[in-house]
Parts: sequence; structure tokens; C-alpha cells
Amino acid sequence: MRRKRCLTQDCEVKPLLEIRNLRVSYGNDTVLDGIDLDLSSGETLAIIGESGTGKTTLGMSIMRLTEGKVRGSIKFDGKDLLALSEEEMRRIRWNRVAMVFQNVNNVLNPVYSVLEQVAEPIVEHGLRNKEEARERARELLAMVGLSSSRLSACPHQLSGGEQQRVLLAMALANDPELLILDEPLSSLDVATRSELADLLKNDNGRRARLVVTHNLDTAGKLADRLAVLYGGRIVEIGGTQDILQYPRHPYTRALIRAYPNMTTVKDLQGIKGRMSRPVSGCSFHPRCTQVIDICRREPPELSWNQGRAVACHRGGIVTILSVENLSKNFGTLKAVNSVNMRIEAGETLALVGQSGSGKTTLAKTIIGLHQPSQGEIFFDGVKVIGRGKDFYRKVQMIFQNPGESLSHRLSVLELVMEPLEVQGIGNKEERRQKAIKVIGEVELPQAEDFINKYPHHLSGGEMQRVAIARALVLDPVLLIADEPTAFLDASVEAKILKLLLNLQESRGLSILYITHNIAAARKVSDRIAVMLDGRIVEEGPSNLVVTAPKHAYTRRLLQTASSLHRFETGVTQ
Amino acid sequence: MHIDLKKEIRESNPGQIGIVILILVVVLAVAAPIIGRYDPIQQSAATLLSPSQNHWLGTNHVGQDIWSQLLYGARTSLLVGFSVGILGLLLSILFGMSSALIGGIYDRVIMRIVDAFIIIPMVIVVILVAAYIKPSLLLLISLLSVLTWPGGARVIRAQTLSLKQSGHISASRTFGAGWLYIAWRHILPDLMPILLVEFIYGVRRAVFMEAGLAFLGIGDPMVVSWGTMMHDALRFSYLDVWRWWLVPAGVALSLTIIGLTFISHAAEAVLDPRLRGEAVA
Repeated sequence: MRRKRCLTQDCEVKPLLEIRNLRVSYGNDTVLDGIDLDLSSGETLAIIGESGTGKTTLGMSIMRLTEGKVRGSIKFDGKDLLALSEEEMRRIRWNRVAMVFQNVNNVLNPVYSVLEQVAEPIVEHGLRNKEEARERARELLAMVGLSSSRLSACPHQLSGGEQQRVLLAMALANDPELLILDEPLSSLDVATRSELADLLKNDNGRRARLVVTHNLDTAGKLADRLAVLYGGRIVEIGGTQDILQYPRHPYTRALIRAYPNMTTVKDLQGIKGRMSRPVSGCSFHPRCTQVIDICRREPPELSWNQGRAVACHRGGIVTILSVENLSKNFGTLKAVNSVNMRIEAGETLALVGQSGSGKTTLAKTIIGLHQPSQGEIFFDGVKVIGRGKDFYRKVQMIFQNPGESLSHRLSVLELVMEPLEVQGIGNKEERRQKAIKVIGEVELPQAEDFINKYPHHLSGGEMQRVAIARALVLDPVLLIADEPTAFLDASVEAKILKLLLNLQESRGLSILYITHNIAAARKVSDRIAVMLDGRIVEEGPSNLVVTAPKHAYTRRLLQTASSLHRFETGVTQ
Repeated sequence: MHIDLKKEIRESNPGQIGIVILILVVVLAVAAPIIGRYDPIQQSAATLLSPSQNHWLGTNHVGQDIWSQLLYGARTSLLVGFSVGILGLLLSILFGMSSALIGGIYDRVIMRIVDAFIIIPMVIVVILVAAYIKPSLLLLISLLSVLTWPGGARVIRAQTLSLKQSGHISASRTFGAGWLYIAWRHILPDLMPILLVEFIYGVRRAVFMEAGLAFLGIGDPMVVSWGTMMHDALRFSYLDVWRWWLVPAGVALSLTIIGLTFISHAAEAVLDPRLRGEAVA
């Protein structure tokens, strides 16, 4: 199902570049698998993805420089590049479509001066005579910021940054309509990078640019739109800022989480597993945390919605839990007052507020320890009415005080086995094996003498780990952690929070993390919801809530949050 | 709360005395056929004999051996006591726990019944009922059990309600555990000390009630019982026989009840930290 998209302002204009169902394979190895892309004049599109996803092959295919077998169509200005003869292609290549290669040492000819090398394509395409070409080359090199004293230098005499500038000048030599930039800034230091980025952005307003990069920063700086490539397929496409702030494909989110930058406040997280090919069904499914059956069988199509497209059988990251207009009264006290909230698969939502703000009541109402006075709870899209064993297999809770929530008359092993026993999973030996495995997963010793200990022989941190193991032994999808570190000292707290993040990475857990400590919340959460007197007064991505709080109470929380240095404003960052 | 009840009771003095007494009574009751020598209901022509080599405590008005009657009486007391203790406790657990866990109207109905039972003086009801139906031993046990559960039920209900809110039971509910599982796996073990105290209290009360009813002449006259012995002996109190007929039965009964009281006292002290003070120091 392919629909006509209109992404630029004037939709009547035909895109400059139209790629349809592009497939590239090397032998049996399919590198690109059904790529559809449009690019209009004056637009910059970034292709992002990890190394090995086929980004470079895409650029090379447009240039017809790839050695692989190429099928599908690449229409440039109405002409199918793949159908052109080599002679015709040569007239387009470097003239109308140019590419800046990733700077590896063998791209530039080592024996010619850079001026000669930039002038060469101008001459070769017979556009100007040699003298004019040199003049033009000089201008270009000045434009890309190479100092005039370096013009006669040979490539090996130049720094990496300078070489990159030369490559850029070469590509720009014939003022192409489409410029393909393959990792244009990756090999440069940060200062040069931003200088060149400015240059690229401002050089020509009519030119279409295709930026191929694994660097989200480069993409964010240069591109109007982003296309996220994974396993040879586009998994998500949309406006750059839109995607970076609200990724909808699990892979895009994982990529953003893994990228060190100044705006994300949550700790870095990797992506579980590694890329493997070939894969049947959705290419991301082996690493995805919300897989359903169909993901293993059929590759998903891109489906469009308001200028965004995501290729996912589940329509992108699913909302695992949503709470609508939920209230819980104790007599006349409105402990939870018309709360709306949602948690997406694989994300952490931090619920922050002072004690008595209704955080724990909200959590207990969700898990079913309290009956709601009003409102509805939806789990995975289905309204929660009675909570059977199925529900508790998917939603688990860690309580504030492990000393209380662990029965003192059961041993560590018995405690971790209890949920399995309640759910009637496996026989005794299987339960034991499963419990021991999870005990290892929460970084506790699996030795016989440890698992036979009783809770009062354990430290607070160990007890909380046992409680976490017990909550994880059923492989839940959503974990509600109610102040899990309230009774622990800072070093143990840090370890427990790290553990939760790692478990999120490896299992794709969604976590509702309840805390009064906004400083801890910002390190572990994707989004923060601030609760005051039973209401959620502010909710948003953690970085925004922490840096640009809207509600007065959030500002107060931030001002009073722990900080090791004194800041003039009182608000960190 | 991690209490080793057995250890605590063993370490308290009254507790030790109580256990020694109880063990003694149990041993005598069990060994009755061996050391009793006579069948306690076997009547003979040798009535109202004084203690002698053949009859250590003499014989009664129908020629039964009093020493044998004393030993077999212990059997009756313990049988009634422990049966009622167990049955009454089971009823207390059943009704107390279920009304705490189920709640709602069921809870209110059960609690009103409990209130009614507690307000009505049980001793009088038992006397009236027993006098009317002349119960056999089995019927007596049932009657006492049915009449004595409400007090325990109230205690168990209160404890269950507070346990219901505790962390590990909330946690167990979030694994999807039903109330039956929770009652069996968590609440019962947690209640064990209280159940033990309730049990001993029930045993003591049943021993006392059985003897009391027999003493009043209500009940099966064919059953050998300390109460019946005292009832009979009292009719011959103008003779010297009360010394080896009335007194041993009274002493045996008192000792048994004192023993049980000591044990329950020790157990109670363990449960209530305010009563522990000296014992711990």
C-alpha cells in the first residue's frame, strides 16, 4: 500500500528524487530491501542507522557506483537512473548528482594538488576551460574554508578536516542539484564539525541533500526530515525534530537512547542483542521488545500518518498502560483525583511528588490493591475489569519496604518461587531453576547457602534485589516500582537503579518509577509526571520537565532537589 | 515478628512447670491400663473400702477402684479438652478468617452472631442444653466446640484484618494469589502463636466445663470423669472417704488446669512484649 505523500509546502512540485522499491543485493545478501523515498529540491533528508544497515549502499546506488545487484527504480528529475546507459549516467554523475564520500584515505589522488583535483571534474565535464575551472576551484575551496595557502598541497599534507573540505568542494564543483553526503562530519572534531555543518546548510537553498550518517547530531543539525534505516528497510520517517523528540519506532527510540548528547537526561542505554541478517519478518524483531507473532512472519509496511511514517505491525511503540480519569477517594479525601496517564512499552515513566501526593495510592489502584472510585485503566489496549492471574503475569510491583514485602518465614529461593507457585507454572524443579536464573539476573549469588537464607539475614540492598527478582520471575511487561530505594543508602540506590535500567534494556520492561526524588527520576526516566495533591500537574519528556518546568510546584521540586554544587539560579542545567 | 514459641515457653519458669504437669497427666492417662490394674467401671461387692495394698485409693460406693477411676478420668478430661480445643479452634479459624477476608455483609452477619454468643453466658447455656439432652461424650465435645468458637473467631478476625494490609500479603496478591492460598501460605503461619494460645485456652476451658457438668450430675453417668467422682464423693462426705475419693480427683483436676494455665500464660507473655520484660532480662 503506497500512498502519495506531500511533505513539502507546494505539493504540486514533483520530487526531484523518487526511489521506489529499491532492492540491492550482494550475492545472496540483501542489503537494501524495498526502499521508498522522495526528496524535493531544497530539502535535506538524513538517512540514519547503525553501521551495516545499508546506508552507504543507498547513496552509492543513486550514484550507480555500487557493485551489487540493483532492482527497483531511482527516478531523478523524471529519469530512471537505473535504466540509463553508462554514458548517460556519466553525464549526470558529478554534474547533477554528486556525492561526498566518507573520508577514507584513498579517496583523493595522492599525487595531485588539491586545486587540480577540484578543477578536474569541472574540466572533465567540459563545462569550462582549464583556467576558468581553476578559478572556480579556487572559489569553491575558499567557500568550504580551506585556507588559500593550502591550495597546492597534496592530500597527505592535509589534516582530516581539510581533506573533508576538499572532498566537499569537489562534490560542489559542478553545482549539482542533488548532493549525497556520506558521513560528512563523522571524522571531524566538534568545532570543525559545526563549522562545516553551517556551511552545508547555507550553501545553496535549491539543492536537495541526502545525508547518510549514524550520527544523530549531524542529522539533527542538517536535515529537515529523517529516515531511519534498519536491516535494509526504512522503519521510520518524519520531521527531524518530531522524530528526535517523539520517536515512534522502538528502534528509533533505542538509537536516541544510546546517543550521548546534552539534552537527554536519562542514562545511556544500549540496544539488546546485535543486528543479524537475514531475518524473516520485521528486520528488527530479534531485538524488539514488543514482538507479536506476525512480526516474525511478515515484514511490516510503512504506514503514513500526518507526515510521519512508521513500519511496525503494532503501529510503533505501543501504549502498554493507560489510565483515564482515575480517582480514588478515602472517605472525603481525594487521594487520587482524575488522573490521566499513559506508559509506553519499554519506557520509564517517573511519577514524582512529595509524600502524601497520592503516588502510592495510584500505583496500588493500578495493580489492584485498591479499587478505583472512578475512572478506567487500560492494559495493552484492553480495559482492566477483574484482575485475574493473567494480569499479574504481566504487571508486577516492587514495594517500598522490602523488609515488609518479603515474608520473614520464607527463604530467598522460596520467596522468588512464590509467584511461579501461585501461577502454577512448571513443576517444582522447573520453578527452582527459573528462580535461580532470575536471582542471578538481579546480580545476587546463586550459591546454595545464599538462596537458603532468610530475609532478616540479608542487607537492605539484597532484600530489595530479592524483591525485584520475585517481581521479574513471571517475566512481566510492566513493573511498578514504588520508591524501591527509599530505604537504601546512596551507593546501593545507584546500583539498584542501574539494575532496573539494564533490565529495561534486556527485557524491554516498561517501568512506572515512583519517587519523591526528581534528581533520581531524571537519570532513569524517559518521561516525568509530577503529582501534587492527587493530581498530575505536569507531564512531559524528562529533559523538558527538568530544564523547562511549567508548573510552579515542579520548579520548587527542582530548586529543592539534591545538588552538590550551588547554582545561582538554584535550578541545575 | 520472628518468635520461636516453643523455645520461649521452655525458657519461662511457669511454662516449664506447666509442661511438666501436662506431660505427667498425659503419661498417666496413656498408661492407665497398666498402672490402674482394675477396670474403672467394674463394680464389686467391696464398697467404700479404705486405701490398701489392693486398692491404693480404696473403692467407691459401688465397689469401683478409685485409683483406676482417677487415671481413666484423666483420659476423659484430656480427650474432651483437646478435642474441643481443636474443633473450636478450627471453627474459630473458619469463621474468623473468612469474615476478615470476605468482608461485607458476610462479615457483619458473622460478627453479630459472635457478639450474641459472647453476651449470652455460655456456662448457663451449656448446663441448660446438657441437662435437657443428657449428652454422650461425642455430643458434649460437639456442644462445647460450637459454643466456644466465637471468642477465638473475633481474635483471629482482628489479627487477619491487620495482616491483610501487610506488605508480604499485598505482594502475594500481586502475584495473582487467591485468598485461599494466602490464608494457607501466609496468614495461618503468621497467626500460629495466637492460634496456639487460643488452643490452650480452649483446652483449659473444655476440661473445666466437662468436669463442672459432670460434677453437677449432668452428662453420661457411665463415663468415668473427675467431675462425676467428685459428684459421687460429695454424697458420702460424712464418711472419711472424701480424703482418698474427693481430694485426689479435685487435686488432679486443679493440677491439670493449673498446668494449662501456666503454659498459656507463658505463651501469652511471649506474644505481648509488655508482659515479657522480666523474662527477657
